[in-house]
Amino acid sequence: MILVFRHLYLFLDSFSFLLLSALGLSIIYGMMGIINQAHGEFIMLGAYFTSLLSVALHIPFIISIFLGAILTGFLGLLLDRTIICRLYSRPLDSIVVTWGISLILSQGIRIILGNSVESISTPLGSFTIGNEKFSTYRMVLVAVAVITLMVVYYIFNHTEFGLKARATMQRSDIAKSLGVNTDKMYAATFFIGSFLAGLTGGLYSPTMMVVPTMGTSFNMQAFVTVIVGGSNPILGSFLSSALLGIVNSELSGWAGSFAGQIGLLIMAIIFIRICPLGVSGLVDRLKAVRR
Amino acid sequence: MKDKSKALLTSENIIFVVLLLLGLVLPTFTNAYRLSQYSYYYSMTILALSITLVWGYAGIFSFGQAAFMGLGAYIYGILSIAAGRDGFNIFALLIAVVIMMALGAALAYFMFYGGVNDVFVGLITMCFGIALQTFMGQTAGEEWQVLGVRLGGYNGLTGIPKISLFGFKLGDVAFYFFTFIILILVYAAIRYSKITNAGYSLTAIRENRSRSELFGFDVPKIQVIVFAISTGLAALAGVLYSVWGSYIAPDNLSMTQSTIPVVIVASGGRKNPTATVLFAILYYFLSGKLAASGSSLNYIILGAILIVVLLFIPEGLFSTLFSKMDKYILRRA
Amino acid sequence: MKKLSKRLFAAAMMTTLVSFSVAGCGGASSDDLPKVQGATRDSSIQDADGVIKIGIMEDLTGECALLGVQKVHAYQKAIDEINEAGGIDGMPVEIDLVDACSDNTKYQELSRKLILEDKCDVVMGCATSASREAVRPIFEDNNAILFYNNQYEGGVASHNVFCTGLVPEQQVVPLVPTMMETYGKKVYILAADYNFGQITALWFEQEVENNGGEIVGTEFVPMGTTQFSSTITKIQDAAPDILVVLAAGSSQTTFFEQWSTSGIKGLPMMTTVNIAQMYEHLQFDPPALANMHVVANYVMELETEDAKAFTEKMKNAFPDDAYFGMEAAASYEGINLYAKAVENAKTTETEAVIAALEEGITLEHMPSGTITMNGDTHHVTKDLVMIRCDETHELHFDANYSQVAPDWISKTLGINIKESAPNKQYTPLDTN
Repeated sequence: MILVFRHLYLFLDSFSFLLLSALGLSIIYGMMGIINQAHGEFIMLGAYFTSLLSVALHIPFIISIFLGAILTGFLGLLLDRTIICRLYSRPLDSIVVTWGISLILSQGIRIILGNSVESISTPLGSFTIGNEKFSTYRMVLVAVAVITLMVVYYIFNHTEFGLKARATMQRSDIAKSLGVNTDKMYAATFFIGSFLAGLTGGLYSPTMMVVPTMGTSFNMQAFVTVIVGGSNPILGSFLSSALLGIVNSELSGWAGSFAGQIGLLIMAIIFIRICPLGVSGLVDRLKAVRR
Repeated sequence: MKDKSKALLTSENIIFVVLLLLGLVLPTFTNAYRLSQYSYYYSMTILALSITLVWGYAGIFSFGQAAFMGLGAYIYGILSIAAGRDGFNIFALLIAVVIMMALGAALAYFMFYGGVNDVFVGLITMCFGIALQTFMGQTAGEEWQVLGVRLGGYNGLTGIPKISLFGFKLGDVAFYFFTFIILILVYAAIRYSKITNAGYSLTAIRENRSRSELFGFDVPKIQVIVFAISTGLAALAGVLYSVWGSYIAPDNLSMTQSTIPVVIVASGGRKNPTATVLFAILYYFLSGKLAASGSSLNYIILGAILIVVLLFIPEGLFSTLFSKMDKYILRRA
Repeated sequence: MKKLSKRLFAAAMMTTLVSFSVAGCGGASSDDLPKVQGATRDSSIQDADGVIKIGIMEDLTGECALLGVQKVHAYQKAIDEINEAGGIDGMPVEIDLVDACSDNTKYQELSRKLILEDKCDVVMGCATSASREAVRPIFEDNNAILFYNNQYEGGVASHNVFCTGLVPEQQVVPLVPTMMETYGKKVYILAADYNFGQITALWFEQEVENNGGEIVGTEFVPMGTTQFSSTITKIQDAAPDILVVLAAGSSQTTFFEQWSTSGIKGLPMMTTVNIAQMYEHLQFDPPALANMHVVANYVMELETEDAKAFTEKMKNAFPDDAYFGMEAAASYEGINLYAKAVENAKTTETEAVIAALEEGITLEHMPSGTITMNGDTHHVTKDLVMIRCDETHELHFDANYSQVAPDWISKTLGINIKESAPNKQYTPLDTN
C-alpha cells in the first residue's frame, strides 16, 4: 500500500511539474508556431513577482501568485506587441529573438533586483502515510495543474474566443477573411501563454531558490513535454506529461535523477522519430482510423 | 569576359578580399595574445559556417551543432593524449572529423529516412545535445576512461596537445595561419558549392522538398550527405577550439553554445557565408571586449543587438549591407 | 509608413555598427591609459610599469554571480586598504576587473588577456573547479600566478596556483568523527554530479569508513536539478543517521526547501559548502537548514575579534550586500598574502614572488585569524570552527579547530611543490 502510494506520489509530482512547465510554452507553440526561448525567463519573472508581492508587500500568497501571473502576462503582451508580432511569419527567427529576450530578462532582473530575492517558505507542511512523510503542497500543485488544464481546455473549446483562436491556428487566412482579428488572437494567446508561465513560477517559487537563472531549470523539461505532446497544445501537454511523468518518476526512483533526465531526452528523440506529430497526433490518427 | 569580371566585382567580394588581406598581414601588427584570440574566433566561425551550410543552404535546422563540435574535440583529445606523439595529432584531427561525419550520417539517416523534418530536426538535435552534455557531465569517476584517458566529468578533458605539421609544433603564429587557412578553405568550398549542381539541389530542397522529390532528387540522401558534412565541419571547429584552449568540457556542448552560432548565422545573413564570417568574428570580438570591460551589461547589450538586427534587418546585417552597397555605391541592381 | 520603416532600418543598422566599433575602441583605449608614475620612486619594489596590477576574474553575470559579487567586493576592500596605507611598500595597486560570465571559455580568453595583454602581476579568480582547471594550464604555460580563493575538493599541486580556500582535509576530516560520535554511524551521501561533488563524496566515504561507519546510500544529482521528490523518498527509505549534502549552484540548493517541507525533521546534515558560501540559512526560511553542520574559517555571524572587524568594515563599505561568507574572507586574505609576498620579494617578478610565498608567509588579524601559506602545498593553514544551524537558523559554533594544515598533498602523496611541481590535480583515487 505504502509502496503503491509512493510511486503514485512521485508520478503525480513529476506529472504536475511537467504539465505546469510546458503548458504556456505549448499553447504559444501550438497556436502561433513560435518556439519561445524566453519561456523559462517568464517563469522566473512569475516567481520574482510573486515573491516580491508576498514578502515585501505582505499580500497573501494565493493572491500574489495570481497577481504575479497577471503581471507576467501583461509583460508578455507588451513584448508581443512590440517585438514578437513582427515575427509571426518567421518562426525560426523568433527562436533567435526570444533567446535575445531571455538574455536581457535574466540579466536585467539581476541588475535591477539583485542576485536573489526572499521567497516565502513552502506552506501546508506534510502528511504521513505508513511511516513515510510527503509534502502536502506538492499534492496541491497536482490539483492546481489539473484545474489549470481544465480551465484552459474550457477557454479554448467552449468559448467564442477559443473557437476563433483555434480557427486562427488552423487556417489563419480563412479565419481572417471570415472577420476574425487574427492579430488580436495571437496577442491574446501570447498573453495566456505568458500568464501560465508566470503562474508556474509563482506556484513553484516557495519550493525553489528565486534567482535570475532559475528559468533555465524549467526549459529542458518544458521543451521535451511539448515535443512529445505534439500539435494539440492542451491534449498533447496532458498526455505527454502523464507519459513522461511515469518515465521520469520511475527511472529517477530506480536509478537516480540522472537516469530520469536522460530517459526524458531519449523518449523525446524516439517519439519524434516514430510519430513526429506527438501523442496528440497519434490520438488524432487513431480517431481517424476509427471513423 | 568583361561581364564576368564585372560580376565578380560585388561589394561582398571586395570586402572579402580586403578581409583576406587583413587576415594575412594581421600577425605583423599585433601581439601573440591577440593573434591567439583570432585563432579562437576563426574556429568558432567554422562552426557558424557549418550552420550556414546545413540551415542557410539546405534548410535543415540543427540545434545540436555545439554537441557535434564538442564530441569532435573529445575524440581528438582522447586520441592525441592516448597516442602521446606530436606527429600523430594531425591524424587525430582527421580521424575525429571522419568519425563525426559517420555519426552525423547515422543520426541524419535516423531522421531523414524516417520523414522527420523542419522544426523537429531542430528538436531531435537539441535533445541529442542535452543528453550528451548531461552524460559527459557525470563522467568524473575513474570508471569513465577511453583508451586510458579519463573523461574528467564536468571539469572536462585538460592538457589536449597542440598540432604538429612536418615535425614542427604549431605555436601561436603558425596556429593562427593554420586556422586561418582552414577557415578560408571551408569558406571557399561553401561558396563554390553554391554554383555547382550539388548547391542547386540544396537550394531546391530548401525551397520546396516535395517538388524537388517530384523532379527526381533523392531528397533524404542529399539531406544525409549535407548533414554529415556539416557535422564534420562542426567537429573540425571543435578540434581547433580544443587545441586553442588545450581543453574541452561538457559546458561547451550546452544548449547555449548551440544557440550562439545559430544566432550568428541568422543575424549576419543566413544564406550568405561571407556575412556569417563577418558577423561571427565581430560577435566573438565584441563579446570578449564586453567581458573584459567587467561590466555586467554584457548579455543585455548582446541580446539587444540581436533583437534589433532581426526586427529591422530581417535578411541579416551583412547580407543587407552587401546588397545596399551594391545598389548605392556600385550602382548595381 | 514605408519611410518610417526605412528610417528605423537605417537607424538599426547604424546603432549596430556603431556599438560594434565603440566596443572595439573602448577596449583598445583603456589598454593605452597612461600608467601611474611617480610613486615608483619612493618604492623599493621592482616593477616594470610602476604599479602593481592585480587582475580580478570572477563571475558578475550568469549562474555563479551570486558568489562572484561578494568576492569582488572583498578584493576591492583589501586593495583599497592597501592603497590607503600608501600601497605595497609605497607602490600603488591597481585593479583590472573582468567578468567571466560563468563561462569557462570566457575564463580562458580572459586569463590570456590578463596575463599577456594587460600584463597583470597576479590574477585572482575562478569560482568552480571547472573554471580553475580550464585556466590552470594557461597560467602554467605562461608562468603567471593565479590565486584561487575558493573552497574546493582539494588536490591541486601546481607551481603557479595558490589556493586560499578550504579543502577536504580541513573540512571533512575534522567534521566526520565529531558528527559520528554525536549522531550515529549510518551515513547517506547526496552530492552534485560533477567533480566537486564526486571527489568530496569520496572524502566523506573514506572518513566514514575510517571512523567505523557505514555508507547506506549515495546519490549523485545532475547539475541544474530542481525537483527532489524521488531523492527525498530514497533517503527516507535508507533511514540514515546523518545526511551529507553537497549541493552546488542555486538550483540544487532548492533541495533544502523541499527536504524540510517533506516533514522529516531533525536529521543531522553535514556539508562543505552550504551556509558558509551561499548563506542558504538566510536565503531560505527556517527550518530548511535545521541541523546542518559545516566546518569553515569565517561566516558573518562569527564572533571572534578578527571576524567581527572584517564583517564591520565590509558592511560599512558595501551596505547593500546581503552577505559575506568564507569565500569573501579567502579573497581578502588572498590579496593580503600576495601583497606581503611582494613586499618580502621586493619585486613582482613571478619566480621571486612564488619563492616568497613558498617561504611560508604568516599574517595575523585576517578575517579567519592567523593564517599561514603552506609552502609545500600552496594551500593555507587556518583556524576553523564547526558551525551548526538550528531550527530558527541561528548559527552555533560548537567546536574550534586551531591552525588546521592543508597537508594531504604533502603527507599522503609525498609531494613538495617547492621542490618539484607536478602541475596536476590529485583525487583520493590517486592514493590507491
